[in-house]
Amino acid sequence: MSALLDVQDVHTFIGQFHILEGVSLRVEEGQITALLGRNGAGKTTTLRTIMGMTPPARGAIFFDGRPIHGLPTYEVAQLGIGYVPDYRAIFRHLTVEENLHLAERRKGDLKRKADFIYHLFPDLARLRHLKGGQLSGGQQQMLAIARVLVPDNRLLLIDEPTEGLAPVLVEQLVEAIRQLREQTTVLLVEQNFAVARHLADTFVIVDDGRTVCQGTMEELANDPATVHRYLGVAVGGEA
Amino acid sequence: MVEPGTLDVRAKQATRRWNLQGLMVVLFLALFPFLASLVTGEPPDAGRPKFWQGLLIQAYIFAVYALSYDILMGYTGILSFGHAMFFGTGVYATAMLLKHAEWGLGQIFLAVLLITFVQGVLFGLVSLRVKGVYFAMVTLAFAEAFYILSEATDFRRWTGAEDGLHGIPVPDFINPTDQRLRFYYLALGFALIVYLIARRVVNSPTGRVIVAIRENETRAATLGYNTFAYKLIAFVFSGVLAGLAGMVHALWNLNASPAVLSVNTTINALLMTIIGGAGTLVGPMLGAGVLQLLGYVLSRTFGPRWPLVFGVVFILIVLFLPYGIVGTWNRWRAHSSTKDKPSLSSK
Amino acid sequence: MRRYRAVLIALAIAVVGIGLVGRSMKPGTLVATLLSGLTLGALYFLIAAGLSLIFGLMDVLNFAHGTLFMLGAYVAWTWVQNPHGLLLWAGLVLAVAGGSATAAWWLNWSPDRRPGRWTRRWLVAVGVALIGVTAWQWLRWPQALTLLLAAGGGLAVGLGAFRPPVVRPPHRRLVWRGVAVVGLLLVTVLLDAQGPTLASAVAGWGSNAKFVSAIVVGTLAGAVAGALMEWSLIRPLYERPIYQVLLTLGIVFAGNEVARAIWGVGAKRMEKPGWFGQPCRSESLAAWVYEQCASVTVLGRSFPTYRLFVIVLGVLLFVALIVLLRRSRLGMIIRAGVQDREMVEALGINVRQVFTLVFALGAGLAALGGVAAAPFVGVYPEMGLEYMLQAFIVVVIGGMGSVPGAALGALLVGLARAFGDYIVLSGVSLPWMEKAVRMSPSIARASTVLIMAIVLMVRPAGLFGEEE
Ligand SMILES: Nc1ncnc2c1ncn2[C@@H]1O[C@H](COP(=O)(O)OP(=O)(O)O)[C@@H](O)[C@H]1O
Ligand SMILES: [Mg+2]
Repeated sequence: MSALLDVQDVHTFIGQFHILEGVSLRVEEGQITALLGRNGAGKTTTLRTIMGMTPPARGAIFFDGRPIHGLPTYEVAQLGIGYVPDYRAIFRHLTVEENLHLAERRKGDLKRKADFIYHLFPDLARLRHLKGGQLSGGQQQMLAIARVLVPDNRLLLIDEPTEGLAPVLVEQLVEAIRQLREQTTVLLVEQNFAVARHLADTFVIVDDGRTVCQGTMEELANDPATVHRYLGVAVGGEA
Repeated sequence: MVEPGTLDVRAKQATRRWNLQGLMVVLFLALFPFLASLVTGEPPDAGRPKFWQGLLIQAYIFAVYALSYDILMGYTGILSFGHAMFFGTGVYATAMLLKHAEWGLGQIFLAVLLITFVQGVLFGLVSLRVKGVYFAMVTLAFAEAFYILSEATDFRRWTGAEDGLHGIPVPDFINPTDQRLRFYYLALGFALIVYLIARRVVNSPTGRVIVAIRENETRAATLGYNTFAYKLIAFVFSGVLAGLAGMVHALWNLNASPAVLSVNTTINALLMTIIGGAGTLVGPMLGAGVLQLLGYVLSRTFGPRWPLVFGVVFILIVLFLPYGIVGTWNRWRAHSSTKDKPSLSSK
Repeated sequence: MRRYRAVLIALAIAVVGIGLVGRSMKPGTLVATLLSGLTLGALYFLIAAGLSLIFGLMDVLNFAHGTLFMLGAYVAWTWVQNPHGLLLWAGLVLAVAGGSATAAWWLNWSPDRRPGRWTRRWLVAVGVALIGVTAWQWLRWPQALTLLLAAGGGLAVGLGAFRPPVVRPPHRRLVWRGVAVVGLLLVTVLLDAQGPTLASAVAGWGSNAKFVSAIVVGTLAGAVAGALMEWSLIRPLYERPIYQVLLTLGIVFAGNEVARAIWGVGAKRMEKPGWFGQPCRSESLAAWVYEQCASVTVLGRSFPTYRLFVIVLGVLLFVALIVLLRRSRLGMIIRAGVQDREMVEALGINVRQVFTLVFALGAGLAALGGVAAAPFVGVYPEMGLEYMLQAFIVVVIGGMGSVPGAALGALLVGLARAFGDYIVLSGVSLPWMEKAVRMSPSIARASTVLIMAIVLMVRPAGLFGEEE
């Protein structure tokens, strides 16, 4: 079975800095894959490279068997990849509903999905007419995730969704993401190892811009040495 | 500009080679009147040699003006669209002081220095508070205000309003018509001295901070430099040099007209810098020469339509030769002598 | 909150200023000056709105915006003077557009048939050459031939330069687009076959019909020129913003020269439309409806009715623009894009295409401003630069990227100009002076710069701008 997303030995430069020096990973359809690694390892850059925001200088990326490296960002998205960046990238001057409308890829997308989305995030239904800038941090994060659920995306790239959220909100968010598994495939960047362990089926660890290992979450949970070596610092924050 | 850290022995050798080549160019320009006289068989201060000297004198003046602009655009990385203000102020100050006050040249020199210095500090304090295109627009507006005032009928007695000032009484010993040869050396010397001063300044510690600001202003600020003060220094320095260029311009043309304060004058500085290569000192000076020559050739070939051709040439240069002559040459040389790409700034 | 505070302060200053100056004015003069200010403000707004949107969305400071304003005025003037010539050339533009529209449609229909890389380059080169030759020989070679060549050129450039979508659009949409393309081709053929008839028909129209059609033609010309400019010259330079600015400066330079070459250096006069053109003075607006006089009495003083029209036009467009921004999907994309372009693109929206559209929109508005300005300021090559500089001051005051900001800024600058002119012309007298000093309008013009400086000191991002 071929993977839904197949990243092969990707190298990415930002300016003259060589940030990714060989990242490879596979995301199987219907699974949640955790992308792990300490701060500055290159996780965000990997997601941005997949999205075509920082195009790779070398290597290949296949989505559903089709090469997508070199495509402009909007075309990558149109193929069915949704991206939730690590900053709260909701539009401050648009209402919650407008934020969702903007994500429509066809007329009526929101209508079809509204029930599902508002069921997943009841807060958003209540705040529908508020401006994005007026939401709290947690609500913004929910909106950012809700936004990629509007069109029929086949793969979601979610970057550190729980960062900086209160524990109650983290739980709520984790629950929501767990429910997503039935709908789509997810590549999840997560610093909180407990959360990653709870949600993900498989993992990939990057370090210094390189893939170091990949496997099932169970294998990783039984290998404290690896966890400590590559994520130990990350769990407690930068030393 | 090559970053200080990447300077190696090869680069130093290259610098020495540049010095030697520069010396030869200066020598050639210094001998030019006599070489021209040899070639044409006419005396050095008459006929074609005299005419050619005229073209070169104007080129030297613009070379200083362009160089002063590049200190802002190429070295400090701030885009000003109001450089004509300084140049024009130099022109008008000189013309008015000669015509109405009959001051001596030395006094005028000091006056221009002082006026443009004060002007630079004042307008710099105001406009440097904003960044990027805002700065460009603010400086443009200030320069435009000066342009409008130079045309205002209210000050006709002093500025001559839209007619400008004509026939300003330049002291006989450097009268550009009768003492062409002397004026030629004056202009050449002026350009040379300004170049040497500018080189000294950009290679000084202050100059290096200024380049650091261009590369990354936040980083320079976190390193503890007062970036505002350094930008102000660059702004004032560049303005004073432009004012001095304006002074010589007034002496050479024996007049002052509102055109020297117009946007076109600023655009000229931009063109010369871009054509020659921003971020170098030689580039803009070369650009001034090329522009002068190009203008002369194009106007002879295309008649009154030459600005159109010129505009098209400019667009093509921006699209296809963004580093200018010197910049492209440097890149090409760096490329052919080393395998990997050097870290040349793109500004 | 801060934002509204700034606006309130600005308005308060304006009101106090007008109050101080107005005390010494007769009511009629005061109102007339106010209206003059509004007229100028409306014109500035039309230029500034596009300038501001373009900068807010794509960070391009378009120096050529004034050139588009000038283009609108010249095209309108030509349309009124010599519709024949303009229509003949419109045929060329339409043929090229028709050709490339066909190419775009075909690439959408079967995205897999996109030509290879080198073929594409050749197609563009051949297409551009074809269009060039056709333009050169337009009106000399037989009409049918040039028409075909131009369309062929457009087709080749389109096939070479356009990217097919990665996802094929829905069938229904493609069919509708196909109908539109066929319609465009038909219009092209019709225009060429019936051009002379149409031209003489237009020449026979009354001044009102001519004026209304001139507004349409001028705006369209501006929009097309803007779109072409963005697509061909500005787009390659998004990675190099400074060079982008320099390029637009080059366009100003070349554009002015082209205008001089085609239309000459002198100023042209454009007739006012009949609605505002009868040589009389109406007692009230109601009376004007019947008499259509060139001026109307406002509090005992006469004021040109055409300028009232310009004010109304400005207000209408302001409202239309706000509605577009608030209610349409395009508006939503623009508002979102001003904040975070990259994220808009990550949602699957082709932002570059939106850029071209917004550029065309802004250019169209500026050109419309040019058409509206032509009957009362005349048409001359320097008008572009002159008004653009005022528009710059307006957007700096209002804040880049904000249409309400542009409106407020335009209002302030327009009023400042009008009252400034009044003050300097009637003489300034300060308490310690024995007699009032009269000055020329230049002083008032220069002083708008002062307003800008003050605003920037207080709020560097402008009244409505967001600080970073
Ligand atoms: N714009 C940039 N310029 C220079 N370096 C960058 C830039 N963005 C990221 N980096 C560097 O790239 C590396 C990887 O960053 P990132 O992908 O954000 O890491 P992660 O998401 O794993 O924490 C870091 O060392 C970071 O400093
Ligand atoms: Mg990250």
